[in-house]
Amino acid sequence: MSEKAKLYDATKCTGCRGCQLACKQWNQLPAKQTENRGTYQNPPDLQPNTWLLMRFQEISDGNGGVKWLFRKDACMHCTDAACVKVCPSGALYHTKYGTVALDQSKCIGCKECIYACPFDVPRYDPATDKIAKCDMCFSRIDNAMEPACVKACPTGALQFGDKDEMVKLAHQRVKDLGGNAYVYGDKFVGGTHMIYVLPEKPAVYDALPEHPRVPLSVIAWKDWLKPFSLLATGGVIAGAFLHYLIHGPKDTSGDKAGEGGGK
Amino acid sequence: MIKASDAFERIIHWWLAITCLLLIITGLGMMFHSFNFLGIPVGGLKNLKLIHNFTGILFIPALIFAILIWWKEAGIFKFPEDLEWIKCAGGYLWHVENPPETGKYNPGQKAFFLAVAGFGVLMVISGLIMWFPLILPRALVSWMYPLHALGLLVIFPFFFIHLYLGTIGVPGSAQAIFTGYVTRSWAEKQCPKWLKEMEESGKLEVFGEEKGASH
Repeated sequence: MSEKAKLYDATKCTGCRGCQLACKQWNQLPAKQTENRGTYQNPPDLQPNTWLLMRFQEISDGNGGVKWLFRKDACMHCTDAACVKVCPSGALYHTKYGTVALDQSKCIGCKECIYACPFDVPRYDPATDKIAKCDMCFSRIDNAMEPACVKACPTGALQFGDKDEMVKLAHQRVKDLGGNAYVYGDKFVGGTHMIYVLPEKPAVYDALPEHPRVPLSVIAWKDWLKPFSLLATGGVIAGAFLHYLIHGPKDTSGDKAGEGGGK
Repeated sequence: MIKASDAFERIIHWWLAITCLLLIITGLGMMFHSFNFLGIPVGGLKNLKLIHNFTGILFIPALIFAILIWWKEAGIFKFPEDLEWIKCAGGYLWHVENPPETGKYNPGQKAFFLAVAGFGVLMVISGLIMWFPLILPRALVSWMYPLHALGLLVIFPFFFIHLYLGTIGVPGSAQAIFTGYVTRSWAEKQCPKWLKEMEESGKLEVFGEEKGASH
């Protein structure tokens, strides 16, 4: 099975939030009452019931004008996914498409993935004591359908297909666009399965890490300490056994040296 | 027979031992996917997590009492005699004619005590932060997980060596944590200095010695 990826071309996006709504509809995530904060971005951040959020951002164009930036924020579906690495129960897992899905029935609410994710995506729901995040509509893609957000997109800003093809398309698009246009997603954490075409450099965007990576704390924990603890455990058990065989137990009987019999 | 530990010490020892062992087993179920099955008997990994967390709460008072009881005898290295003992590993690893005499606890046991006390406190703090992470800074929380793993890495080998030497490695030791009484010959070999000090100060509690000594 070839790896699949979603391509988000921000230069074609009109910020209509059709994808945000389609996500809620397919995944049955009814919205809660929100507050007018004077921005289109609503709710203010990803939530247990908002797995996909359109981010709206205003920046200066340098000539006294304003540029309006859109970004579709959701799970990036890393190849080298820190969340999968830390998940103790296997609730977070890689699918055959390379995407990162979530089996909520296995989630034990330990929140370890929250502190592992370089994109700050998993959200904890106190009501269910479980984690929630985008699973790239696994129930749809496993049945040969596109994710709900892609299906809903009216402008073609969202595409879904083989990962290689999506990356190629992204680079072609960036070449055509020129200027500051940038492909985001193919250069880190083994490559993500959500690829962005951004009209501006990543550093310009809110809540978007420039150099995302599996945190050092996760590497120290899972790649160093975990195997080393296995080694140490095996070492002391084997060591104690060998000690008993070679050196033998300590003689704590009353026999004094010289007057003891067999000991 | 010589009294080596009182009832309170023995209770705290077992309280600490049982909670510690339960924490290791339940923690193992969450640390390795291949041990996830340990959650099955308790109805799932989520329950295993709850057992781990609440056992951790029970571990706290045991750890505090253990530190209060043993820090004076097992928490302070005495130089140079402890250094001499360390140089020859107390005669535990190769043959040593006359290993340096130790007090109630030898430097190996002191290292075990310090590891459990130090890393036990670290386990409690990191564990509590892992349990209630959402109010704390991200960078702080994310380092609690490797610290918790480091705690296991340090405590488990010490624990296992302690178990080995307390049972078959040094015969006659285990009585100290069941009845509290050890044989005089055991005490002469394991804690000669302590034995002399206790005898000189007249604090040594002896039981059935005359009968045993006449043989």
